[in-house]
Amino acid sequence: MKKIDIRIQVNGTWHELAVNPGDRLIDVLRDQLDLTGTKEGCGEGECGACTVNLSGQAVLSCLMLAVQADNGTILTIEGLQKGSELHPLQKAFVSEAAVQCGYCTPGMIMAANSLINNETEIGESKIQQHLSNNLCRCTGYDRPVKAVLKAAKEIKRNNNV
Amino acid sequence: MSVQLQIEEYHRPRDQAQAIEILSRYGKRARVIAGGTDILPLRPGVKKSDSIRHLVDISNLGLNYIKKDHDRIRIGAATNINTIGASPLFSSGPYQALSEAAGAHSTATIKNRATVGGNLCSASPLADLALPLLVMEAILVATGPNGEREIPIESFFKGANYMALDSDEVLLEIRIPQCPPKAGTAFVKLRRQQTAIDMAVVNTAAFLTCIKGRCEVARIALGAVAPISFRAKKAESVLAGAELSEGIIQKAAATAAEEARPIDDVRATAAYRKKMVRVLVRRSLENSLQRCGS
Repeated sequence: MKKIDIRIQVNGTWHELAVNPGDRLIDVLRDQLDLTGTKEGCGEGECGACTVNLSGQAVLSCLMLAVQADNGTILTIEGLQKGSELHPLQKAFVSEAAVQCGYCTPGMIMAANSLINNETEIGESKIQQHLSNNLCRCTGYDRPVKAVLKAAKEIKRNNNV
Repeated sequence: MSVQLQIEEYHRPRDQAQAIEILSRYGKRARVIAGGTDILPLRPGVKKSDSIRHLVDISNLGLNYIKKDHDRIRIGAATNINTIGASPLFSSGPYQALSEAAGAHSTATIKNRATVGGNLCSASPLADLALPLLVMEAILVATGPNGEREIPIESFFKGANYMALDSDEVLLEIRIPQCPPKAGTAFVKLRRQQTAIDMAVVNTAAFLTCIKGRCEVARIALGAVAPISFRAKKAESVLAGAELSEGIIQKAAATAAEEARPIDDVRATAAYRKKMVRVLVRRSLENSLQRCGS
């Protein structure tokens, strides 16, 4: 098996890595970079627990190879907060009690983050549509949707100040 | 953790010629990859991925585009499904069925990576984008050791997960001939649950042109009810030249159901699928008719 040298920016830091051709992005994030906030649920693209942002877009890190992310800019749940200050999405998930076991939460938040960064008008149906690849087996979807709505409003308010 | 892909080498060709050279060298052990969403979910024992040892990445070959020439639309094979769904070229007018199929394909997250070329080359009988492209009579352009060739989409699908390309060929482009501006098209998909991730129990597309209530051209494509997606030609001939009434649309839908050859599987029974073909064909014809300029 021939290792491949790749260069990826993760949460603001460039990494030069040698990866196996069959390594998925999630394998490299978790096992080489110790970023275990990104979860693997089904490994088949159904559950969305492994969602990260690649060039600002939500992607499933179990459905792409690490080599496909070469030269890419990746954001994971660990890169969202600024210092000790939680991101508005993280705060809203806490205040709206949108977390129960928490396994789906990093993926939901990263899917929501790409939505908030790419769209200006965000309503409930758009959030539901955008989070349709993220399964939760505990709280259901009402609270996460409310949390995203709340965070989107706060971010919009902050941007307008 | 799921099974890992046993890949020996990942190739990133700089141009088409290099891609063909690599594919020729490794034959059936090599497979083209673009988004990867159909190759990576590995289930042990699934034939299509078991023998793959070489992946040939075509995402840097400039195949990501949608262009409108004077008489046709050209879509690069590596264009992702979200880009197609968001394109103003398809959002209204005679190409609307393509926009509907892209919208229904899967979730926003998967559609950021999944490509139109992958949807066709995986040759799943459930492929959503195959149906609008069938009724629009798209031409698929592929390249290989003997140069480029054009394949009408109707002869592209050969069987469940098998299509017309040789192992050393690459799909480059999907060409959609100009639709008459007054044509109406529609795509309809039925899932078990109305969740975006679920695949089709039945999917259908239709294309209609008419003058003063009389049908000129009718095209109907069916998915998930045979080993391949196909045109329901008997149902089409019921409509061609006929006065478009509720009755004739019902008759065409019933004929399409007779042409379907579904199987029982985890998603639905064959009998249910046949019934649903009738419903979905009627709906896609009604939607197409509504969109027809007379």
